[in-house]
Amino acid sequence: MNKAGVPMSSVPDVARARKSLLSGLSPSLTERGTWLPVVVFLVLVLIFSLASPAFFTWRNLSATTGEAATLLIASLGASFVILMGSIDLSVGANVLLVGTVTVAGLKQIPDVNPGLLVLPFGAVLGGLLGAFNGSISVIGKIPSFVVTLGSLSVFTGIALSILAGATIMFDLPIFEALSLRQSIPHLPNIALCALLLWLIFIFIGARTRFGRFALLIGGGEQVARIAGIPVDRYKIYAFIVSGVTAGLAAVFAVSRLGAVGPSLGSDLLLNTIAAIVVGGTSLAGGIGGVHRTLIGVAIIVVLNNGLNLLGVGPYWQLVIKGLVVIGAVLISQDRGRGLIVK
Amino acid sequence: MEFGAERRSDELFRAERVSKSYGHIQILHDVSLVVPPRSIVGLVGENGAGKTTLFNILTGLTRPDAGAMHYRGEPYSPRAYNEAFALGISRVFQEQALVLNVPVYENLVLSQESRFTKFGQLIDRAAMISVAERIIDDAGLDIDVRRNAGAYDFSKRQAIEIARACMAPRHLMGIADPLVLLDEPTSALDRQDERTFIELLARMRQHASFVFVSHRLTEVRELCDSILVMKDGRLSAPLDPAAADEKVLHGLMVGRERADDYYHVDRQIDVDGRPIVCSVRDLSGPEFTNVSFDLRRGEVLGIGGLLDSGKSALGKAIVGVHPPLGGSVALDQAPARKPNIRNFVRNGLGYVPAERLVEGIIPSLSLAINLSLPSADHFSPYSLWRLQKERAAAAAAIRKFRIRSGSPLAPLQNLSGGNQQKVVLARWLQRDLKALVLDNPTRGVDAGAKEEIYQHIRLLTEQGVGIILITDELTELIGMANRILIMQRGRIVAELPGPREAKPSEHDLIPYMLPSAA
Repeated sequence: MNKAGVPMSSVPDVARARKSLLSGLSPSLTERGTWLPVVVFLVLVLIFSLASPAFFTWRNLSATTGEAATLLIASLGASFVILMGSIDLSVGANVLLVGTVTVAGLKQIPDVNPGLLVLPFGAVLGGLLGAFNGSISVIGKIPSFVVTLGSLSVFTGIALSILAGATIMFDLPIFEALSLRQSIPHLPNIALCALLLWLIFIFIGARTRFGRFALLIGGGEQVARIAGIPVDRYKIYAFIVSGVTAGLAAVFAVSRLGAVGPSLGSDLLLNTIAAIVVGGTSLAGGIGGVHRTLIGVAIIVVLNNGLNLLGVGPYWQLVIKGLVVIGAVLISQDRGRGLIVK
Repeated sequence: MEFGAERRSDELFRAERVSKSYGHIQILHDVSLVVPPRSIVGLVGENGAGKTTLFNILTGLTRPDAGAMHYRGEPYSPRAYNEAFALGISRVFQEQALVLNVPVYENLVLSQESRFTKFGQLIDRAAMISVAERIIDDAGLDIDVRRNAGAYDFSKRQAIEIARACMAPRHLMGIADPLVLLDEPTSALDRQDERTFIELLARMRQHASFVFVSHRLTEVRELCDSILVMKDGRLSAPLDPAAADEKVLHGLMVGRERADDYYHVDRQIDVDGRPIVCSVRDLSGPEFTNVSFDLRRGEVLGIGGLLDSGKSALGKAIVGVHPPLGGSVALDQAPARKPNIRNFVRNGLGYVPAERLVEGIIPSLSLAINLSLPSADHFSPYSLWRLQKERAAAAAAIRKFRIRSGSPLAPLQNLSGGNQQKVVLARWLQRDLKALVLDNPTRGVDAGAKEEIYQHIRLLTEQGVGIILITDELTELIGMANRILIMQRGRIVAELPGPREAKPSEHDLIPYMLPSAA
């Protein structure tokens, strides 16, 4: 310490805070490690552009952004759960169940055109499933890891029994408008919607009481509790929000695919957690946030897409993706904070 | 003191002109010290003076930029803690480093298990236990090494750690006279345990040398052969404890003399006949029973007692951290609808917990965020969070409380303990308070920040806030309180008045705290 006792890092902190235009949105944008995922993303893009002529094309952009959209929407709410220091393993199963119920329900009423009402329907249904997770975890004082692992199985089981193993083809005019049409050239509407939702959730994360409490609970649950913050209630809220975005993702996924099958959402379990963590939100909680999730989604999707174009088989892709997640946690982990127990 | 080039037989360790800087900030300036064998060297200084950096260099956690160290006559420049430990230099931290769910004997041979293995894997438990028992016997402790470390209380566990640091080098590695660095070992001990600690150290000095860091100047003077004062990265010449009284030490540490009226007793308010802001009736919990008292506007009510007296649990119950088993707490004569911390905070109660790092602050988050922690009602009245307002409040608090931080956005972990504690206090002072419960508000805080905290407490009382001050420090208790309650085993056993002109002495209080007086 110097004479005035000013902490060593205070000077650069001021400089950094002034430099970053985004610092008004969230102090965490000035955190160390925010830009590492961006570098990784650019390197991946560079490698795949050089390795495959098909990678850097408009066609491929439209295809990948469509794929990325579902993943981004599904990861938005889950980002808050992870930021809070909990985890939601049931996002993929939630997507499958909401997608199945929506489509099976619409099949029952063929004469009704729900229009955009399918979106709030999916959101409410997903939110209920999230409330189920959150309430059990908080009231029963069970780690969210266990609760959502269980509900992953429950939701999947219900959905598969409705589907009876079959794929239901389904289409609505609104689905086409939601997913495939392009209001901005080369950018499917589904990707546009995902980006808009992402911006809304950044705002929620940085400027609302819910966003702040999620950060506080993740940073120090006991400290937050002693300061009078309603920790339990906000934990349940986070799971509800995670369920809501999963429900929305389900509607978007169904509209893009025009079908619901047993495998819907199965890749989302790993991919949502991968995207959030690779983006830079700590599994220990309290570091990062939903603003980082976009870049994580971009990395995961580019990796998928690039490996596909290079002809890497799906099994090896699983191996690579798993290693990427573990590597991201290794790099980002603050080892001073001790073991993670979910 | 002269530092001759040749080794003198009366020194175990010597550091010469050690310097360290981070960036352009110089942390240590030409620090030189000598530790004679079997001696206790006291090291005092404010938080942030450079004591921790010096310890880090001595144990290989940090490399110095310049300077030389000698240990047992050999040049010494450890690159990691393991290297220092292998040579017999170890460190006992304020936060304890025992594994609670394994037996004491395993803790005593921790990291040295390979000495007890056969064929690489089989562990010779009997040999471990016998070495562990020798360590405990040498330290003169009454501890069963087969029991889990967690079965012993804080002070016993600390004794185990000190025994390990002093004796394990001899029994495990054949190193006699090791050097043990004690980093604020007593700051969490109450008076009785502090005595036990002092006796233990007096015994252990026959086997080891110590560098002893503490904020408690009385015990430093009692224990140490010489005292070094560190201020702004510079070390004083060794002082004779007999000659350097607390006022002198304080002056060297802070750079100014300690005020005669450290606790601002002249600002203590007469509260007779003033309205009651908080009344506690028959409050009971797992660690205390039937506690009743009234707190008046502007009063400082001190609560003292040993660690197991239940006073900290009482503090938590008053603010509703844990629901009480029985009884009630009323603010301004209105009993709380639901006695949980949220309702109490909303109605004007505040709480500064004892465990700053676990309960008080979120070190990874910014000063501004830590400051607004209990004030969502203020910064987010309608769900949106007012960041500009929050930042302005933080900037104002930095000025008002003289918090040494470059920016409201800087993470709190960059600040010293005293400055962190000011943030915890400042957090409540931006609210409209009726009463504030403080649990050891100056624990682990340096002398300068301490004085400022006392001033702010006085300022609060002048504004009519009632203060409940729970503390292990008797001088603080006596100096600050209008009235002192002494707790023993969960019950209030004495109430002593503490008027400005007739403060009780420590000797008046201690008999009520000890079980024999019950």
